[in-house]
Amino acid sequence: MCTNNNLQQLYKTEIGAFYQCSLKNCYWLEFAGEWHPLKVSDFLFFKKEIDSINLLSMLEDPSRTSDLAIIQSYRAKRCFLLNVHEILQLRELLSAARFMIELNSLLHERLQQQLI
Amino acid sequence: MGDQLKLMIMKDLLRLKTSLKEEIENILNEQIKVEAHSSAIYLAMSSWCDDQGLDFSAGFFEKQAEEERNHMMKIFKYVNDRGGRAISPEIQNIPKDFESFRSVFELALEQEMHVTQQFNNIAEQCMKHKDFVTFQFLQWFLEEQVEEEYVARRILDMFDVIGEEGTGRWEIDKHVQKVSYSED
Repeated sequence: MCTNNNLQQLYKTEIGAFYQCSLKNCYWLEFAGEWHPLKVSDFLFFKKEIDSINLLSMLEDPSRTSDLAIIQSYRAKRCFLLNVHEILQLRELLSAARFMIELNSLLHERLQQQLI
Repeated sequence: MGDQLKLMIMKDLLRLKTSLKEEIENILNEQIKVEAHSSAIYLAMSSWCDDQGLDFSAGFFEKQAEEERNHMMKIFKYVNDRGGRAISPEIQNIPKDFESFRSVFELALEQEMHVTQQFNNIAEQCMKHKDFVTFQFLQWFLEEQVEEEYVARRILDMFDVIGEEGTGRWEIDKHVQKVSYSED
């Protein structure tokens, strides 16, 4: 695991946080008390998996099986069992992390232009 | 000020991985699906024509199906080459039957016009996001669509010129593969 010295926090919520490790070139997702390493492509794919969950059908379906979504993500190397609230919280965290990553890219771009 | 700013920002892992903006990658993956869908429709048309005894049209559409697949693979490879993730597409809603010989070619033209519009949309997005590398990549497809639409229209013209009565269908079928596009 990357040490705290290498981790830079991108975003934090009540239920978790997202970090970048620039030494090992990876991200870390802290969610519901657990830590998950994600390579860049893993994070992008995992975010798409979470974003593609059909919340409306979960809410409309009265059966007990629709109370939870099971995400068997190879990218995050574990199985997530999420209710609607948790899905929304995770979406918020991942979207905010993505925004911060894009902002960082934009800053890099602007800085490059200034230096030339 | 520049050095202080540099210390605040992190290593750009995203751009180390991929040069494609998420919106461009998504729209290219959608186009991969469109091309795959086109290919499958052409294959269905080929099979229908074969069933109707229209051998040359069956061959024409089989070749079109192969071409669309090649287009799909070009885009697929491009997305992966730029560090993105190309998605192998799911294909649904492929017709098994067609109303008439003419309607098959009308559908083919509609399909090509839809593909052209899709590429126009992608080009617009590339301009919006200033992704001129992808815009340049699209040029080949935009030129290709001129040919595809021309061929589809010319074949439809044959239905008006030759007509389907008598040996008309046989004549049209014979001439389908001879239609070609030249810029001159």
